[in-house]
Amino acid sequence: MLMVSPAIALAFLPLLLTLIIRYRYFFVLFYRAVLIRMWKDCVTGLSREERAFQYVLTHATPGDPDSILDTFDVWCSKVEFISNIGPKKGKILDRLLMEHSPLTVLELGAHCGYSTVRIARSLPLGARLYSIEMDQRNAAIAEKVIRLAGFDDDTVELIVNPSDEVIPQLRSDYNLERLDFVFMDHWKKCYLPDLQMLEGSGLLGKGSIILADNVLFPGAPKFLRYIRKSGLYEWRIHRATLEYSKGIRDGMAELVYQGIK
Amino acid sequence: MSTAGEQDAGLSLQEEHESKTHRTKRRDGDRQKKKRRNERRKGGTRAGEGEEDLQAVSEKRERSKRKRAKSKQETSRRENNEEEEAQLTGVREVEENVDKGKKKQGSTKKGEKKEDGGKQLVKGKAREVKKKNSEPETSEEDDDEEEDNDKDVVRLECLSPEELEKLKEAVDERKKLIQSLRGKPWAMKKKLVTLRESQEFVEKYEGALGKGKGRKLYAYKVLMTKKWMKFQRDFENFKTACIPWEMKIKEIESHFGSSVASYFLFLRWMYGINMILFGLTFGLVMVPEALMGRPYGSMPRKTVPRAEEASAMDFAVLWDFGGYAQYSVLFYGYYNNQRTVGWLKFRMPLSYFLVGVGTVAYSYMVVIRTMARNANESGVGDDNSFNFSWKMFTSWDYLIGNAETADNKFASITTSFKEAILEEQESHKDDNIHLTRFLRVLANFLVLCCLAGSGYLIYFVVRRSQKFALDGLENHTWWERNEVNMVMSLLGMFCPMLFDVISTLENYHPRVALQWQLGRIFALFLGNLYTFIIALMDEINLKRKEEKIVKFNITTWEASLYNGTVSENSTASPVTIHPADVPRGPCWETMVGQEFVRLIISDTMTTYITLLIGDFLRAVLVRFLNYCWCWDLEAGFPSYSEFDVSGNVLGLIFNQGMIWMGSFYAPCLPALNVIRLHVSMYLQCWAVMCCNVPQERVFKASGSNNFYMAMLLVILFLSTLPAIYTIVSIPPSFDCGPFSGKNRMFDVIHETLESDFPPWFSKVFSYASNPGLVLPFILLMVLAIYYLQSTSKSYREANVELKKKLQMARMTAQEQQRNNNASVQDQESGSLNSNINKEY
Repeated sequence: MLMVSPAIALAFLPLLLTLIIRYRYFFVLFYRAVLIRMWKDCVTGLSREERAFQYVLTHATPGDPDSILDTFDVWCSKVEFISNIGPKKGKILDRLLMEHSPLTVLELGAHCGYSTVRIARSLPLGARLYSIEMDQRNAAIAEKVIRLAGFDDDTVELIVNPSDEVIPQLRSDYNLERLDFVFMDHWKKCYLPDLQMLEGSGLLGKGSIILADNVLFPGAPKFLRYIRKSGLYEWRIHRATLEYSKGIRDGMAELVYQGIK
Repeated sequence: MSTAGEQDAGLSLQEEHESKTHRTKRRDGDRQKKKRRNERRKGGTRAGEGEEDLQAVSEKRERSKRKRAKSKQETSRRENNEEEEAQLTGVREVEENVDKGKKKQGSTKKGEKKEDGGKQLVKGKAREVKKKNSEPETSEEDDDEEEDNDKDVVRLECLSPEELEKLKEAVDERKKLIQSLRGKPWAMKKKLVTLRESQEFVEKYEGALGKGKGRKLYAYKVLMTKKWMKFQRDFENFKTACIPWEMKIKEIESHFGSSVASYFLFLRWMYGINMILFGLTFGLVMVPEALMGRPYGSMPRKTVPRAEEASAMDFAVLWDFGGYAQYSVLFYGYYNNQRTVGWLKFRMPLSYFLVGVGTVAYSYMVVIRTMARNANESGVGDDNSFNFSWKMFTSWDYLIGNAETADNKFASITTSFKEAILEEQESHKDDNIHLTRFLRVLANFLVLCCLAGSGYLIYFVVRRSQKFALDGLENHTWWERNEVNMVMSLLGMFCPMLFDVISTLENYHPRVALQWQLGRIFALFLGNLYTFIIALMDEINLKRKEEKIVKFNITTWEASLYNGTVSENSTASPVTIHPADVPRGPCWETMVGQEFVRLIISDTMTTYITLLIGDFLRAVLVRFLNYCWCWDLEAGFPSYSEFDVSGNVLGLIFNQGMIWMGSFYAPCLPALNVIRLHVSMYLQCWAVMCCNVPQERVFKASGSNNFYMAMLLVILFLSTLPAIYTIVSIPPSFDCGPFSGKNRMFDVIHETLESDFPPWFSKVFSYASNPGLVLPFILLMVLAIYYLQSTSKSYREANVELKKKLQMARMTAQEQQRNNNASVQDQESGSLNSNINKEY
């Protein structure tokens, strides 16, 4: 019989403690993003995004994007977890938008509209934002959130379709000539194919900016490897922490398209 | 260019005995050759080269003729250059004259007679004055340069006596200048420049001035110097190639920074020490006993007892160093107590004792010497005063040769700057210091708790194992039997990780953090080791009790045996009993040796297994699971492991401590350790390069080497303590080992003194070992140490003072100079110089 004595088992206690302390943020994240979500899903019967929307609806001032964003932040940090871009990394996004004031913006992955509102509120007059969301239910909520924030169809166009279907059609269906700014926050696996599709479509011009969120956690290693090698971009990584969490490091990749030299 | 010229001079001078008509041709041919094959200067192989390059030579010759026509232009141009450079007009002029003369001579060497030299010189000068500053640059730059080289050669060969005279004068003047330079009222910089120039000049032309033989000798000397230098360089390369693992370590250093490399350097150093220990024990103890001592099976102590014979060759038994391994030269118990072995009359017990003492003494010597040498290298300097300057100019690790590490280093430098700025701001604010202090105290408290817990756990396990031992080991599972080793290894592995996590609370600089970490792990390992030793002591006492009983039993057994035989036949024929059947004592020394060997083996195994699982397996999983995982494994959660410098260093140090402790009772330990270190060198080099990533905060570990050494010294001391205690206070077993039958182990020295040395020597020795003599001697030594220490302290202080003074002087000088520059800009340089000189 293989029986490990209690002393040997006790010797593993330091390892356990080490692991718990070292990866505590991940455990907290797991608890908040997975366990609480499953629990609430069972209890309320609503999806997470719907719960978030209900909270926003009851707590935010309609027509005021700042208030909506703040309410989202409060919900995500206090109640449940949704991987929005968050206030800290959002500031980087705001700054980039302010600096470049792009006229045509493409957003991949609207989720429940947080980042869409964030982008739309710092756009210059006459600019247009195309937001792509794959999931039907999320898109419905995103639509509501956007309208609640007071942006109409002229400013924000929500496209409900997978990004790999929409991108090749952008030029023909939406009469786009050039994208000034692309924000990526959808499936991390799709970053690279979508980027290559954008390159192929010819929508990127010299100076177009592509901002990709969550490139370190959960991470898009292939995407990073590609931009390192391709030479088409001037790129840098803004290091920050994961949204609504202190200890997990994350980053946003900022790419400036240089074209083929 | 000048070296090439010299070399050519050497070559051509060497060839002087050859026919003069061919000379220029040869030289040009050689140059062509040189251009094509870069380096080929063996005098003997040059026989057919002239013909080979005939074409090129003729071409070249023509060009050089053209060149000669133009030579005056060149000369003037050169002079211009020289004038631009020249700052010391007085001395320069002579040199220039000489140069001009030589050039002239060189250019006119073919056709003109020697007597014309002087006139030519005058004419040339006149022309040069005319052409000064008016000549355009010639287009054939390369050729010009070559030609210049050429001239250097030619000049020396065929100077007129007049010019030789001049050259001699110039050289003499230079020599005088060098001698009187110290008294000259010049600025230091000017002096230095002048000195260097004059020395170069003298060196260059002095040898060439000699006639015939002297010149040849000079050329020969130059040639030999070149060859010698090349040889030296090659020899240096060869030496580097001979240093074991040097390239490996360099590679690691370039990838991981010097802190990781310092571990490998330490490992290599340790390997060297262990080689010597191994040589001592192997050459002076194991081999003599194996070759010249009594063979296996001749005595009870050299035979496996009957009860164990059946299982003596089983792998499980051998792996535990029982069976045939126990009854071999590997352990203390096998050695016989006969005074001399073999035809060499090798004094085995004495050798055994002296090797035991010698290994420890040698280790002390080496460690202390290395420490002293390292202490010299780390100069006097306070790190705190110029924090930002230090960071600015010294934070880059120039040994990094890998892009990733360089990135990390870059990031770490920026962060360290940020942190330093923050710290600087905070030190002015002075409000967060309490929090930091509190956190540090808290961290230490937690670490203490952890240490106490692990100590108690080990104590508990040891007590339990003693209980098991009393019950009989056969009744318990493998886990229970190996509990002590397992728990010790596991705690030694996991507690440092916990310490590491706790130490993030403290927010120290990584170098300081590393030292804290080392100190903590040191305490942990020390606790483990001493618990182990205490348990061992208990066991020794048990064995000694057993021994007493066995001794009594043996006497009765022998008596009964003899009684029996005597009663059978009275001829008293020698009773032949097979040595395996003779009852014997437990031999606690062999037991101690076995325990240490087992500990070393299990420790080694744990290290390697952790390496394979913790590093290699993890790296493989991270690498290949990353293709199909929902987050980035490489950048995020498990990631690759970093190389744990502190843990590895301490593992090495404690391993060495166990070797020192156990090698007296198990002569095979140094051999085992050499094997272990050898394997771990390759294994860890491979593992580091293949599965680890550079540390996030790479830092220089220049100062940490002495820290390792200090710990090694402490461990050496602590590990020799129990060994010496057992040697001095416990009587050796009566029927095993080289000291059997003696009251104490060190009695072997007395024995040798009495029987092998003349009586006066032992008398002197007994006088010398009299406490009345020894105590004053020790007192004297302590006084000497105190004196030396205080003098060195005062020297150090004086050094610091001098440094300060030097700095002050420099600063005032700079200020003065600045003032002077501002006020007396239009004044002549002479007055400036005199001003500065006044300060000096």
